[in-house]
Amino acid sequence: MLRLWPLRQVAKVQNVLGGLTQIATKSTQPAPAPELVEVFIDDKQVFVEPGTTVLQACAVAGVEIPRFCYHDRLSIAGNCRMCLVEVERSPKPVASCAMPVMKGMKVKTDSPMTRKAREGVMEFLLMNHPLDCPICDQGGECDLQDQSMAFGSDRSRFTDNAFTGKRAVEDKNIGPLIKTIMTRCIQCTRCIRFASEIAGVDDLGTSGRGTDMQVGTYVEKMFKSELSGNVIDLCPVGALTSKPYAFTARPWEIRKVESIDVMDAVGSNIVVGMRTNEVMRVLPRVNEDINEEWISDKTRFAYDGLKRQRLTTPFINVDGQLVPTDWETAFVKVAEKVKKVDPKLIAGVAGSTADAEAMVCLKDMINRLGGELLCTEDSFPLNRSGIDFRSNYIFNTTIGGIEQADVVLLIGTNPRLEAPLINARIRKTWIHSEVCVGVLGAPVDLSYEYQYLGDSFIVLKDLAAGTHPMCKALASANKPMIILGTDCLQGTENGVIYNAVKDIAERLRKNLKHKDWKIFNLLQKNASQVGALDLGYQPGVSGLKALQAELIFLLGADAGTVSKDKINPSSSVIYIGHHGDYGAQIADVVLPAAAYTEKDAIYVNTEGRVQLARQAVNPPGMARHDWKIIRALSEILGVALPYDKLADVRARLGEISPTFDQPGQVNESGFEAQAYQLQTEIKDPIVNVNTAISPTMLKLKDFYMTDPISRASLTMAKCIQACKESEKNPYSKQEAKA
Amino acid sequence: MASIIKVIGNVRRIISHNNGIIGSFLKMFRHDDLKWGTLVGEDKYGNKYYENNYYFFGKNRWVSYPQSSGFDFDASEIPPEWHRWMHYMTDDPPTKVPLPQRKWMADHTMNLTGTSREYVPYSTTRPKIQSWVPPKSSD
Amino acid sequence: MATLKIFCARSTLQRLTKQNLASISVLPQNRSHFKQVGQQPPSLEWKPIMDRAAGSVFWNELLKGLGICLGMILKEPANINYPFEKGPLSPRFRGEHALRRYPSGEERCIACKLCEAICPAQAITIEAETRADGSRRTTRYDIDMTKCIYCGFCQEACPVDAIVEGPNFEYSTETREELLYNKEKLLSNGDKWEPEIAANLQSDYLYR
Repeated sequence: MLRLWPLRQVAKVQNVLGGLTQIATKSTQPAPAPELVEVFIDDKQVFVEPGTTVLQACAVAGVEIPRFCYHDRLSIAGNCRMCLVEVERSPKPVASCAMPVMKGMKVKTDSPMTRKAREGVMEFLLMNHPLDCPICDQGGECDLQDQSMAFGSDRSRFTDNAFTGKRAVEDKNIGPLIKTIMTRCIQCTRCIRFASEIAGVDDLGTSGRGTDMQVGTYVEKMFKSELSGNVIDLCPVGALTSKPYAFTARPWEIRKVESIDVMDAVGSNIVVGMRTNEVMRVLPRVNEDINEEWISDKTRFAYDGLKRQRLTTPFINVDGQLVPTDWETAFVKVAEKVKKVDPKLIAGVAGSTADAEAMVCLKDMINRLGGELLCTEDSFPLNRSGIDFRSNYIFNTTIGGIEQADVVLLIGTNPRLEAPLINARIRKTWIHSEVCVGVLGAPVDLSYEYQYLGDSFIVLKDLAAGTHPMCKALASANKPMIILGTDCLQGTENGVIYNAVKDIAERLRKNLKHKDWKIFNLLQKNASQVGALDLGYQPGVSGLKALQAELIFLLGADAGTVSKDKINPSSSVIYIGHHGDYGAQIADVVLPAAAYTEKDAIYVNTEGRVQLARQAVNPPGMARHDWKIIRALSEILGVALPYDKLADVRARLGEISPTFDQPGQVNESGFEAQAYQLQTEIKDPIVNVNTAISPTMLKLKDFYMTDPISRASLTMAKCIQACKESEKNPYSKQEAKA
Repeated sequence: MASIIKVIGNVRRIISHNNGIIGSFLKMFRHDDLKWGTLVGEDKYGNKYYENNYYFFGKNRWVSYPQSSGFDFDASEIPPEWHRWMHYMTDDPPTKVPLPQRKWMADHTMNLTGTSREYVPYSTTRPKIQSWVPPKSSD
Repeated sequence: MATLKIFCARSTLQRLTKQNLASISVLPQNRSHFKQVGQQPPSLEWKPIMDRAAGSVFWNELLKGLGICLGMILKEPANINYPFEKGPLSPRFRGEHALRRYPSGEERCIACKLCEAICPAQAITIEAETRADGSRRTTRYDIDMTKCIYCGFCQEACPVDAIVEGPNFEYSTETREELLYNKEKLLSNGDKWEPEIAANLQSDYLYR
């Protein structure tokens, strides 16, 4: 908490009270094992660490204390007063969320005094809260509703039924994602604390006092953060709700399907809310190792892209025009094309949201036909040890591991937009410890302070040679981290950059005190990339041109890297995917497939963690599951694949890489030394790279549309529009110019 | 003896209420019943409402559907104002206590099932999925 | 001539039948003995046997029944002559559903979905979105009248008195399809029946 100026004072007080921050923040320094404090919750004896709050101690004893302002992952505010409990020999009820335990404390959570205090607080809250639950989107999942039922008084003393004196607050416009109905606000300040602590955007605050207190931005401006949607979950009442979800569904009618996000390579755990075969909303699911309980705005709000621009029938190209057709005709057309070409010239490209099952099916089918080339859209240097070692292309430190790092070096990446939750983790580490962050690349706003090293290759060369001032910090670090973005690896000189980064990592690794600490991290951008590389796909589409491929299967490849003119003008393209985007436009045959909410699928995130996404809704129209399409097609092509069930496909995945058999886990990848050795053996001379090492996503508006789903989303389009308008707003904080 | 006079009186009133013997015969043919009572009112659709508390509760209010309905009269022809009175929810006929009227209120229609104007269900929502339409090739 | 009331004939006949019944129904009571309540076996004495035989020879029971028929013809009928006469209904009668409007003409329903949630037959389907003016409105409000059990929970649950079960019960249809009501149908029901619905609610407001 040391780097949040408003909290510095609080932290000091809390330290005096007994190292509260240590508990709340999981500080990296191992504290000497403290003696446990004995407290009595409702005469039940529990032992907790000193510095624990009364509320946490009650949770240990299994007693739920009502609260509005308190949140596990935010600093303690203590302003809602809902958590008042009676403590013996204390003249007043105490706010349990802010009160550290003391030896022998006797807490009464259900005494008449406690109950009266709660009822009183609840009465005050409800006095100024509108009774508009029927039109409130929070209705049914509202903390105020639940707690007034559980802890409020059972009768009303409210007599102002003509509503002469109820508080009314003007609604604020804070962007296209968050709908504000500020009259409902109970001033818990969770959103403010989230914005300043987690999101790192000090846009929200309060103005006025007492009844006149308002939460807002003071001047009208957009809440410009890639994590802004999380305040909707945090808001205990309906003051902040989701604009795209507004009024569309009720929590009790939504069926929840636990799934995985594919908008970036983090693989955030999500809950897809579905109703009547329609995705109604996407919410985060707690996973401490990946996304804690936050998700990015793209993950949360791009779901409306699943309903637009969808491929619902197969298409075939008739005289340069795609016409809708049925499956049989489309399959026959594909078979005709396959028959015509030399099997060796058949290739496949996996797009950013392809699932592992479909990729293995496509690979097996093309291999059985005789083709060898299967690649992904994202490039990666191959001429060294390349993808032979898993440690070369995954996020070795793991996302949870970031919290232990003491020096983080970001090279050619903008994690805030490429992987918002990894950035949130770095920011968390930055707040709670003395981590030093260096950035080599564009001087983007990362929501925390960092040492900017420039964006030229010379800096990287200096770092590799050990002559750069930053090297001292790196060398003295206990647990240094290097995060390399994939954007700077797309050019032809990618190998040189990659080599230089590996050189730095290797030198640091040799002097590492913690031998099992991983230094090198590659931050992938595509949800499919690690899975594809695990399955033996080649990174980058450069091979297509070399091969002069005649028939190219695109598995949702919509990034625009494949183009007929560049590869072979006479080639045919068969597109298997879910959106009518770039890939479908250049295709000769379009086969409609399922998006990530419509199939049971395996995705591997940038850490190499295998995760299962579950089917929430059915694919629309005639669309089918990707692997089933390929399986059926293989039958037509006469190379029937030997699996009929999803379990069989997964067994095949397990044959290729055992990591696929261990969902949810990160398999530590070893052999860094060997990987480096192989690399040095074929070392090419360090040449100068003239282009700047820079990520492609620089400003928030670049964040919203990165894949076919988010490109089809109206909400994301509105976000970009709002970002552009916000740039004209003189009160809005301008993002650093790139 | 007195009761016989009563019967004759009833028969006379019924016949005069129903426009003579031929009228009574026609009425009997259409209504299966002959009654006499006072005309309480008539709605704009031509339904005539009668009441006679001499008859037992349940039979003391009745409606005469307009001749235009012929023998195709339907119970649902009664508009809501009179429906309320006909079903004994109130004793005040709308001629005495008119019900409030708003300009958005619709005219009454009888149950139109089996006619060409019957209700046919349809969806009031837009399709959930918007399909991709391939761009027209320029050439 | 069903309702031609010939009261004198009716009452005389009634008096006669009542007297007969009264004389038959007097039974000796002796509380010191047990009493057989089941069907008595017919006596096998000569005199009762002869009485029974005479009764059936002269169609005694048949004539008695015809007498009752004759009496009933001359009585005021107990049934009502639907559709010209109609039976009494409560103002709380739960008939055909209707969606109401405010006096201004604005639809009342705010898509809170409480009726959908409480519906025990799951007959109600609602979809909602933000209307152009930012208010919360339904885009779909379907009631499957073939599923509905007319329990009235929907109107109880409605916070704005939008969905009501109106007084109309004469909406039977020739096809099942016609009973799948959508929002337009329900609103037009409301527009048609609003005078009566409003009056019924008004008359009962003290008890709700």
